[in-house]
Amino acid sequence: MSGKRKPDLKVIIMGDFAVGKTSLVCRYIEDVFKKHDTTIGAAFFLKQWGPYNVAVWDTAGDERYTGLSQFYCRNAGAAILAYDVTNPQSFESLWARFMPLIESATENCLKVVVGTKIDLLENDKRDITVEEGRKLAQELNEGLDLSKLEGDPYFETSSKNGANVKEVFEYMFQYCLPLTGQQKQKYSSVKKDIVDLYETDSNSPRAKKACC
Amino acid sequence: MSMKAFELVPAIERGKLTSDKFKAQIESIDVCGKNLYIGTSDCFIFHYCIEERNQAGKIAFHSEKQGHKYLGLKKPIVQIKAASALNRIIVLCDNTVTLLNMFDLEPVFSGAKIKGVVNFSVNDNPIRSNPFSVEVCVALKKKQLQIYTITEDRIVHVKDLPLPEPAIITGIDEHYVCAALNTQYCMIEVETAFIQDLFPYDNENTNPMVKKVTKEEFLLSGPSALGMFVTSAGISQRPPMQWSDNLIAVSCVQPYIVAMNDEFITIHSILDQQQKQAIPFQGGVFMDDFEGRLFIASAREIYSLVPVAFEKQIEALLYDKRVAEALELAENAHKTGMTKDKFMKIYKRIQQQAGFIEFSQQHFDEAQKLFLNGEVDVREIICLYPDLMPSGSNFTRSSPPLHEIPSISILVRNNDSVMETYKSFLRSFLEDVRNTKQSVGLKQEIDVALLKLYAENNSAELIPLLVSDTSCELADCVEYLERYQRHHALALLHKYHGENEKALHIWTRLVNGEIQDKSFQGLEFVVEFLANLNDHELVWKYLDWVLEKNEEFGVQILTQRPANEVQSERLRPDAVIDYLHRFPLAVVTYLEYLVFQKKLEKEKYHTHLAVLYLDKVLSLTKNHGSKKEDVDIARCKLRHMLQMSNLYRVQLILGKTKETEMHAECAILYGKLEEHDKALRILVHKLKDFGAAENYCLVNSQGKEASYRKRLFHILLSVYLDPSYETKDNLVAPAMSLLNSNVADFDTVKVLQLLPDTWSVSLLSQFLSRSLRKSMNKSRLARIETMMARGENLHVKQTCIELQQEPVILNDDRNCGVCSRALTDPTFIRYPNSVVTHVHCAKNKYVCPVTGKLFSTRPS
Repeated sequence: MSGKRKPDLKVIIMGDFAVGKTSLVCRYIEDVFKKHDTTIGAAFFLKQWGPYNVAVWDTAGDERYTGLSQFYCRNAGAAILAYDVTNPQSFESLWARFMPLIESATENCLKVVVGTKIDLLENDKRDITVEEGRKLAQELNEGLDLSKLEGDPYFETSSKNGANVKEVFEYMFQYCLPLTGQQKQKYSSVKKDIVDLYETDSNSPRAKKACC
Repeated sequence: MSMKAFELVPAIERGKLTSDKFKAQIESIDVCGKNLYIGTSDCFIFHYCIEERNQAGKIAFHSEKQGHKYLGLKKPIVQIKAASALNRIIVLCDNTVTLLNMFDLEPVFSGAKIKGVVNFSVNDNPIRSNPFSVEVCVALKKKQLQIYTITEDRIVHVKDLPLPEPAIITGIDEHYVCAALNTQYCMIEVETAFIQDLFPYDNENTNPMVKKVTKEEFLLSGPSALGMFVTSAGISQRPPMQWSDNLIAVSCVQPYIVAMNDEFITIHSILDQQQKQAIPFQGGVFMDDFEGRLFIASAREIYSLVPVAFEKQIEALLYDKRVAEALELAENAHKTGMTKDKFMKIYKRIQQQAGFIEFSQQHFDEAQKLFLNGEVDVREIICLYPDLMPSGSNFTRSSPPLHEIPSISILVRNNDSVMETYKSFLRSFLEDVRNTKQSVGLKQEIDVALLKLYAENNSAELIPLLVSDTSCELADCVEYLERYQRHHALALLHKYHGENEKALHIWTRLVNGEIQDKSFQGLEFVVEFLANLNDHELVWKYLDWVLEKNEEFGVQILTQRPANEVQSERLRPDAVIDYLHRFPLAVVTYLEYLVFQKKLEKEKYHTHLAVLYLDKVLSLTKNHGSKKEDVDIARCKLRHMLQMSNLYRVQLILGKTKETEMHAECAILYGKLEEHDKALRILVHKLKDFGAAENYCLVNSQGKEASYRKRLFHILLSVYLDPSYETKDNLVAPAMSLLNSNVADFDTVKVLQLLPDTWSVSLLSQFLSRSLRKSMNKSRLARIETMMARGENLHVKQTCIELQQEPVILNDDRNCGVCSRALTDPTFIRYPNSVVTHVHCAKNKYVCPVTGKLFSTRPS
């Protein structure tokens, strides 16, 4: 891992045991869905976002690691609070266990509530309604200016089919490290191999004025 | 657990401690340079001198006891730390820190001590850098840490750091202290005494540990046997490591973390946090790293954990044929601080070794990649194959050997299909290597091996190999090619080595069908070869044979010679023509070559060719069965020849043609004799081809002045209008069309004189108006030209007057513009921009020597 350069943003993922936190990160970073062993302590991923490095910390959900989670929360610029939409208990845990932990993150840490395993949800059998999730998300982020973002910091995802996964992360990154559309294009993978002769480098001095 | 990174080596020989009247258990140790200090449970300190020796690649320790000291407290020695700069050892015993002399183990004279201490740690990177002091952080029994500066015989209190609960273990680096308190870890900034809580731990199940890993980064033992990395900022930059329970000690030797519990020593990489090795070790009581060396103590023995040189680790992996792991390790080995060159050298050798392992396991793709990347000496591979090395090669395999394969026959075990795969591997490998820098100096070996491989399975690549720049030597290749009957290839090889005669001999046999080779293209190939062969004697020798075989091909030997060839007596045209008499087709082709292609301007050849053409036409016409097209073609050729060339003897040809009905040819010949009247009469009267007549005028006046052309057209017109010829009325139409033609050119006055008086003006109106217009145009053009010339003349005059208008004054003050010397000569140069110079200083009259200005070079 590159401990040499400090990441520009630290993102932490928290949530109850087996709600699918590691699967969520893996779907985003590697775009695969596979079986994961229980995370021990925490796991770490690096992601490029435009010119920035983002460190994604995936914590262990097991209760015995609660003490560590608070430690890993420190200095986090954004947090994902994940719960299993098929398991109301895991939603309760967000209130009970994880809200206090977030205290140690940065002051204006963005908290995104994410329901996982949406693919397992059979019609009409919801214990947690979208409104409830949205309400929690709004309460958690009271005092943050989210007006620039589209929608509430609440997502329902499926790591199995990839639904909404990218949106969660980009929502957070865009809040913490906003990129202009131009930058996004510049750093998108296709563009990387192309030399843009018309690209204006902001660092270079302005073109000299022609004489006479 | 994929590698062997460390080896356990006794630091003090077994039994030595016991024999040194060592009764109790080891409690703590410290190593500083060659000094090893042991603190025992019964309050003794032992001092040994240890020496690391490298015996046949194995590290061994030699130790010698220097002395011992009883501190008289009957309590265990909990911590020892040597401070070599002070010549002191810092000892913690019975909750008291004291200082002893490093060598005689006597207490310091001042008797300085700190009481109530649970644990102390030394700052390796103190902020105040007095080299003769040591900064120490002590954990007291009460809820407090203290910072001290220790000098040779003084312990100076620097700072108190209050804590919420008593600390058990501390670690200090720069200005941060990381401490394990009773129930949690915390990070304390020394300057501000700010305490940052890290995380709680369960003090019943977890043995707290604080180990400095890198700058301002500590490794702590967390709950559930996790190894947690923490920076001074109170955050983690690496994921945790999983250890086993009952941890006793942790150490760090870059890039590994070594942990000891009651049964094992486990080694993790700090880079990927994965476990790399486990060494069974029971009864360990103490482990620490000292200046990058790891020492481990059980109750009565002391070991060192010696890092295995990475070459050895790789060697072991290669020996186990674990190629991928070996290469991965090798790639990471450059982090060990080798120079790049040295690393590349070693890395390449490892790649080669790995390549041979893959090779022996028939993993050819991997092998090829490794061989290419490792830049293996191709001979190492070729020599594994029987008979493929050039017989003259004195190559010996590298020593120490890269592999243990004596020959591929061992790997193949008489299995032909396996043999085939090995051979095809070698083929593709050599093809890849050929013409890369890896083949420099080894071209012969590569090419010979390839030739043998190709010859063996009659591959199509054999011929290209020999045609282009090849380094195959004759000696064994000849034998090989003969054995597999690759005759054409053999001939090519001979040719490449300049033995053309041998090559030709083989080819004649192939053409004659005495031997067979499918790759041989037949007679054309031989012809092409001979055409480009500059050994004319040899060409001469085989020319006859080829001509006998096929006249048309054969003559190509003579006609398709390279353009820049040196002429020789053998192939002098005269001699060749004499020789070719037997071959009528060949001689025509050869003459055509001389006349049309080489453009030899010799009457003899031209006449000869013309005569031959004529003979052909005559013979064809005489033979009534011959086709009309053939005759036409032959005549066409003849006419072209007659028209094109000016060198043949016209009279000779004319004499022959006159007797026949070949009017067109006659017309050309008369034209050559400048007897245009006769020629045109033939064209008009005999052939009635008026177009050809007009064309005749144009062709024959080509490159000549307008009057000549006018004369020709005039002759034609007079032929049309010739009253002596009975059918003159029939020719009025062509005459008119000639007069009105765009291409024709006439002297109008002469035409008017010639025209019969009977012709009406209306008939001639077109011609007359055209002529009038033309002459009017001419006259006007002439006038315009005159006026323009006059205008230009005036302009020049004006310029001249302007230039001369002002006087050029030369006096003593006026110097040459170039050399700045006085102008003493009566003659001088003045440039249009009034620069005045000596005559000899003006190098170019169009360029001003002072300003470099260019003046018009147009003569005015």
